[in-house]
Amino acid sequence: MLNVLMLGVGQCGNRIMDAVNKEAFGGGATSKLSKYCLKPKFPSRVETLAINTAINDLKELRFTTAKDRLHVPNLHGVGANRNVGKQAFMDNRDMIMGEIEKRGDFDLAFVITSTSGGTGSSFSPLLINELKRQYRNITVITVAVLPFREEGSIYLQNAAFSMRELMDLEADGIILADNQYMKRFSGDIASAYDKINSMIAQRLLFLIESLDSEMLSVTDLGDFKTVMNGGLRIGTLGFYQADRKNTSIRDAIENSLKPGNLLYPSNITDDAARAMIIVQGSREYLDTDEITKEVEKLSACAGHVFKGIVVKKGYPKVLSVFALAAAPELESIYAQAARAMQDEKEKRGRARKQLDDAFAHIEDLEEIY
Amino acid sequence: MLKFVACHAMSWGSGMRRMILLAVIFILIITATYAKESDQDETTFNDFTLNIGDRIDVGDYRTELIEIQSLKDGLAVMRVSKVGGALDEQRAFLQNSANDFNGGAEGDGITLTVTDILDDQSAKVRVEYKESLGTAKKRTSERASRAPDAPILSVQKSFDKNQIGVGDEVKVTVTVKNIGTGQATNIQAEDLPPLPEFSYIAGYPPKIKETLNPGESDSAVYVINAVKEGSIRVPAIQVSYTDSKKNLKSNNSEPFNILINPKDKAELVFSLRPSGPIIVDGTGSLNISLFNQGKAPATRVEVEGEIRPSEGLEAAGLDKSYFEILPGTDENYSVQLSGKKAGNYTVTLRADYQGGDGAAVQEGMTEVVVLEREYKYLYLLLIIPVLIIVAWSYKRYREYKY
Ligand SMILES: Nc1nc2c(ncn2[C@@H]2O[C@H](COP(=O)(O)OP(=O)(O)O)[C@@H](O)[C@H]2O)c(=O)[nH]1
Ligand SMILES: [Mg+2]
Repeated sequence: MLNVLMLGVGQCGNRIMDAVNKEAFGGGATSKLSKYCLKPKFPSRVETLAINTAINDLKELRFTTAKDRLHVPNLHGVGANRNVGKQAFMDNRDMIMGEIEKRGDFDLAFVITSTSGGTGSSFSPLLINELKRQYRNITVITVAVLPFREEGSIYLQNAAFSMRELMDLEADGIILADNQYMKRFSGDIASAYDKINSMIAQRLLFLIESLDSEMLSVTDLGDFKTVMNGGLRIGTLGFYQADRKNTSIRDAIENSLKPGNLLYPSNITDDAARAMIIVQGSREYLDTDEITKEVEKLSACAGHVFKGIVVKKGYPKVLSVFALAAAPELESIYAQAARAMQDEKEKRGRARKQLDDAFAHIEDLEEIY
Repeated sequence: MLKFVACHAMSWGSGMRRMILLAVIFILIITATYAKESDQDETTFNDFTLNIGDRIDVGDYRTELIEIQSLKDGLAVMRVSKVGGALDEQRAFLQNSANDFNGGAEGDGITLTVTDILDDQSAKVRVEYKESLGTAKKRTSERASRAPDAPILSVQKSFDKNQIGVGDEVKVTVTVKNIGTGQATNIQAEDLPPLPEFSYIAGYPPKIKETLNPGESDSAVYVINAVKEGSIRVPAIQVSYTDSKKNLKSNNSEPFNILINPKDKAELVFSLRPSGPIIVDGTGSLNISLFNQGKAPATRVEVEGEIRPSEGLEAAGLDKSYFEILPGTDENYSVQLSGKKAGNYTVTLRADYQGGDGAAVQEGMTEVVVLEREYKYLYLLLIIPVLIIVAWSYKRYREYKY
């Protein structure tokens, strides 16, 4: 049995983690009710903890127990300023780590955060370091959310710097999710967030379940670590759930690899470094030959591919995990961030120059009273 | 006296004398007038007791008692005539009112008043007249000698008490007396006692001698029992008889009213209060109260209880007896019930007692329910999950409230 720690840091991280809890209640509209009668159903021992400097963001959560919401007091919030955020983490490090320690020992930790905000993006690298220090054998995976590109230069800049910090860490990999890419699922921002969050939550839960499963052909934490260590150590998740109309396992696997079902836009055939395909469903749908054929097809372009098969009543579900050898979309973010920072710098210089010109009018004058 | 005055007058002067003489003469004339009137026209009266046919003669006036028209209303018929035929009138006289004939006693006639009607054969009559008519005299009629032949029966019916309550025995006395002058024969009394307020007990019908001589009386007593309350009219007793000439006559007593009061009695009422449904193999209690809401004490009260159906519910000590329960008081006792089988049971209590007017019975009844033991758990099955759900939801609410 795996001991899993899920930390949602900052507003974005908190809300995705709340979605994980909601998913554990069954997801959908019924989870509101089941919160009052059922226990959240996690495949393994999962401890969740929402960490934030903004108490209002914590209050907004619906499916996370009160004891799993940790407020880090900081006088004026962090205001998207990562330096203030880092200071706030260091000031409260013992308290935060003590709160995590209380929850026992862990094999696997997910740190869920946005890359562009203040709290999550500044806390997460420091937090991951602390986790690595405190738990000798822990595997730490970062779930990093990229911003909408039009959210402004500070967010872009934060994303660029925090992604660099995250990649420099001794961590075991980053799973990327791109808001910009998934924005197409819904019209307004609020429902787009909800949709994106539940997509991420669903994939994470499926992943945990398959890592902990003792069925047929097994994938374990080691396999997962190996996959995430490949390429840039940046990966993403694809998922497909078949329905009554088409129960073909081959189609389900292929669908899980399609860009539309990925959290981050990438071209698997070109960019994948390592992969893991996990198949779940009733035994009659799980044709081993077909699965093997599909896995071999993928291996041809993506190097090594692990496969896992979990027999469980229902139509086929497929989760694909990739480590990427190239991340062009991420590169473009850096370009955009640099441009935005350059623009900002120039604008500032221009403004300063204009102001200096204005000051010139009073250059030789004295105040007269 | 006249001479003395005249002597006196002569010793005075002639003018003066004439005056005095005239005055004396005037006085004399007046005095003489008065003297003459009081001497010759004084009214007087006499009272006579007349039997029918008797007559009073005054001067030329003849007054005869013809008939007693109504003893009750005080009416008597008299005939008044004057010798020579100038007056002959038959008139009904109302007792105690004066009747003038030919101007009455103040004039030249007479005034007659019936002052008393003694019975249906005789009356007292007063006659007033001028003394100048001579003295009034009574002439007993020849018919008066036939009087012994007229029997008159007076009839009376009386109760020995005038306060009667339901259940009381009443002695009725019937008395028949011959107050007439002749022998009454074939006497038959017919009495209807008041029904249905009374019932006969003994002595009915009353037996009266068949023959009663004048002055003789006979009575009969019978006993009846008041059975119903109310105000009733006791009808008259009718007596028929014949006189010596075989004339059929009858008389009756006066009907009268009498009130029969309701009888004081005891009235017991039960009130049965079970403690509630009993569960199989459980116990409950039944509180019994016996209240006397009547006016008389209930004595020798025997309470007996019965449970139907007879199996499945047990009660110890349902039967009780009390020597006396006074009016307005109650007796209470409590009985333990134990349920053996589920069902609906009827507990009936019956009290026999003496209650003032004989034996009485009163019943009280109540339902006792014995519930299936499972019901107890069914309640819990319902309540406990609800409680658990509420507690659990609240706990959850607290857990997620931040
Ligand atoms: N997918 C997703 N992104 C979110 C959500 N909330 C905020 N974000 C993104 O997170 C970024 C802002 O970071 P946020 O977590 O609010 O800042 P912090 O609270 O200071 O860490 C923006 O790019 C938002 O688009 C959410 O619920 N879901
Ligand atoms: Mg925010």
